[in-house]
Parts: sequence; structure tokens; C-alpha cells
Amino acid sequence: MPNKSGRAYGLTTLCPLIGDQQDDQSYAAIIKGRLRNLPVDADSPWAKIPNLYMCRMFVLDDVFYQGKPAHEDHLKSKYLVFVAELHGELEPFLEAMWRVAEDSIRDIWEFCVAFKGVCSTGDFVRYIKQCQVETTFYFNGSNDESLAEQLKALYLKQELGKFVRDQQAHGKDPVQLQRAFSDFVARVEPFNLAGPTWRPGASDLAQAVIPSAGASPVSNRS
Amino acid sequence: MSNIAGKAYAMNLITPIHGLRVFANKLIFWAVGTPVAKLSLRGLKTLSMIHYARWVILRSKDFPHLASNQPKEDLKYGYMLFFSNFNGSWEQYVDSFSAAIPSGLNLLWWKNIGWPNAVPEQPFHRYVESNQIWTDYYYSSYPMAASNDVKSAELVKQKLCTFIGNTTGVSPNEFSQRYNLLLKDLQCDLGLLDATPIVSLAAEEISARRRAALAKPAPAAGRAPEPATSAVISAAQPHNQNMPNGQATAAAASTATRARKASARGKD
Repeated sequence: MPNKSGRAYGLTTLCPLIGDQQDDQSYAAIIKGRLRNLPVDADSPWAKIPNLYMCRMFVLDDVFYQGKPAHEDHLKSKYLVFVAELHGELEPFLEAMWRVAEDSIRDIWEFCVAFKGVCSTGDFVRYIKQCQVETTFYFNGSNDESLAEQLKALYLKQELGKFVRDQQAHGKDPVQLQRAFSDFVARVEPFNLAGPTWRPGASDLAQAVIPSAGASPVSNRS
Repeated sequence: MSNIAGKAYAMNLITPIHGLRVFANKLIFWAVGTPVAKLSLRGLKTLSMIHYARWVILRSKDFPHLASNQPKEDLKYGYMLFFSNFNGSWEQYVDSFSAAIPSGLNLLWWKNIGWPNAVPEQPFHRYVESNQIWTDYYYSSYPMAASNDVKSAELVKQKLCTFIGNTTGVSPNEFSQRYNLLLKDLQCDLGLLDATPIVSLAAEEISARRRAALAKPAPAAGRAPEPATSAVISAAQPHNQNMPNGQATAAAASTATRARKASARGKD
């Protein structure tokens, strides 16, 4: 199936826009403005969606003219393009997306054809599937682990790096080293994906770590 | 508007294909997906800065049509959409592609109208520039991580968990020996991550404007302001803490130079 590569899924949707305007602004311009004002990184509404690796949105206004002797070609509608890289199956992803980001979805998709009829999770899943186009070829250059697994792994890589640096700086003997490692394992909980781990979308080390349940917030910056 | 989310860059291209050749192009992609043909694109795997990339070929009838009052598309050409998530600057990426898999690119963009061939680079650059669509919103779940970081982190996690299982109850001396072996094994994978350095002055300007907007007091009425956030692309740090100082300074200077060039050419 071209939309998948292992357990990674490539969702490509082209949602046609209503060809109208509001207060002298085209719907395309309004959507671009709303996207521009959407919070980014860890505060992005998409940061709450489980198993979303990456996504992008843009308005496809038209196709490009290649110059003579090519023919001039134009789209009859503009499209809101939503492209996402995710882990697992599409339907659970879309259901979760609606559940955690309904307000942002309504705001951004407001001026898309047929979106007014979207009132529930099921409607949203059906709507996105109607707008989905099939990927011809999908290349996964990363890995296809769940997002929770990837974020925990990044957290562990960072913490182990700092632990190693600290041990080398202090030149501890084997007894001290073993004890320090035991404390390290108790702190980072390598087998617990829920925490401590990295926050989805975090772009700053000072805010990156989600502490273990019940633990006080910790800074990841040493 | 930005094509950049931390260390990731989003590229979108849309290029026309003669209608009769759409089937042939799809056939090429099908063949590329087979195990034998994958060898011809093994260079793609060496471009380890790519997180994910995809190609989508559409004809008029493939564009979603959701209502009777929505006009149906009637395009003279088929269109190939290319989406990529990669690390580094636009020029680094485009040049790497051109250098690593020129014949692969010529195959994947076979007979696309205006395709100039992947080599020489200047016509190839112009083709990409003139067919690129800017991203209005880009999100990455790990803006501080490059694709190689995601892959090496998984390796670190697996080896760390195995090490924990294998060293439970061993003597301190044996633990120390195995610990040193673990470090030798992981010595290429333990570089520390941090916020992205400045890749683009344009993107940095956008971040600065966002920070300024967030710092303003909330309006009394109208649309709700954005929440205070740490998430704006943080003030970029002109160093890479994985490098020695001198190297980092040189890298920062080089990055700033590239960023100025890229900004001047408006790719970010």
C-alpha cells in the first residue's frame, strides 16, 4: 500500500476551498492568516495528537506555468493541503485528532467545501478520507516506532549522554559508578514510556522534559 | 509562514507531466518500490538527513470533488506533488540530492515538463525554486532532533535496556567493564541535542515577530490571543555543543553565511 512504509503512514489531503470571500478577503487569505497565527511547536494544537510525527499545511492556489512551449494550466479550485506523517493506522489517528483539536480543526477547515456538514468524529474521518489522495511512492528515512517510543528514546539518548559526561568528569571507581548508574536508571525509568520523556513539539531544552508521574518538574538542561 | 520547524525543513514541489505519460511515471514509481529496483535508489538511503519523503501523481479526476457546486478540475497535464521533510538548509538538501542520486532524480522526474536534469546544478536549482510552494504551517514533534538523532536514539534505548538486563546483580568490576564496552559501542550516538542553530534569518525574523506578538498584553475583545509559549523557535544559539569550540564557531559562521544567502534568495 503506497500510503504506508512499515508502520509509518503518509496522509495527503487536498481539501477544496469555497470560492468566495469575506470582508474583501478571500477565504484562502483568511486561512493563510489563521495558519500564520496558530501556536507553534509544543503549543501547537497538533502537539496533542498521539502518534503524529510531522505535518504541514498550505494553500495550493494554482499550478505553475513552465513557459513556452508548455500550455497554460489552471486549477478551478484552491485547496487546503494537509500532509501528515504518522505512526499506525489512519482512522484512530483522525479520531484522536478530532478529539484533541476540534476547535483548531473547525477554525482552519471552516471555509472548505462540505466541511459545514462535519459535526462528529465519524464525520471528520469520512471527510478527510474523501479529501485524501493516494501516495504514489513513500520513503521513510527515519524509523516507524510509535511517537511515545521515539520521544522516550530521544530523552534517554540525551540523559545517558549527560550521565556519561558527568561520570568521566568525576572519574568514579567501579563501586561508585555502579551506584550512580543505578540511581540514573531509577530516575530516567527506561522502560516507562509515559515519563519521564520529551514533550511533543518541544523546541527548547528547558521545557522539554515531561516528568515521571508524581515527580516534580525537572529541567533537562545541565 | 515558514518552511522550517526546528531542525526540519518542509519542501513542497508541484510539477506537470504530459497526460499520456502519467501512467508511465506511475509505473516507474511502482518499479522503484520493487526489491530489485530499490538498489538503483540506494543513494536515497545515504541521504540520512531525510525524515520522510513522498511523491503523489494526480490527474484531474484525482482531485477531490465534494459537492455539485464545486467545479471539476479540467487540467491539460497530470501533476506530480513531492513532499519532503529533511534537516539542514535548502541548498544542502538540493545539492545532496543532485550529487547522491542524479540518475535516480532523472528517473523519478522523467519527462516532467521543464525538467532540466539533476546535473548541472544551476538549472536544477532554478527548476526547484520555480516549482516550490511555501508551507503556511509546519509542525514537528521533535524540532530539536535531526533524522539521524531519531534513529540513533532508538539504538541507544535498545542497547541501554539490554545493558540494564545484562548487568543486574553483577560485581562492580564486571559492571565497569561492560559499561565501558557499552560506551565504546555507543560512542557515535551520544551527542547532546539542543535547540536548532540559526538556519535561516527569515525564519528567525518570523520567530522574533511571534515572540513580540506573544509579549503584547491580551486584547480586550476580539479573537483570543495565542497562549504564552516556550514553543516559539527559541532564540537560536550560534553554537553546536556536539563540536569543539573552534569547530563550532566555524560551523556557526558557515551557518550564518548560508542563512544570509538562503534568506536573500527567499527559500525559507
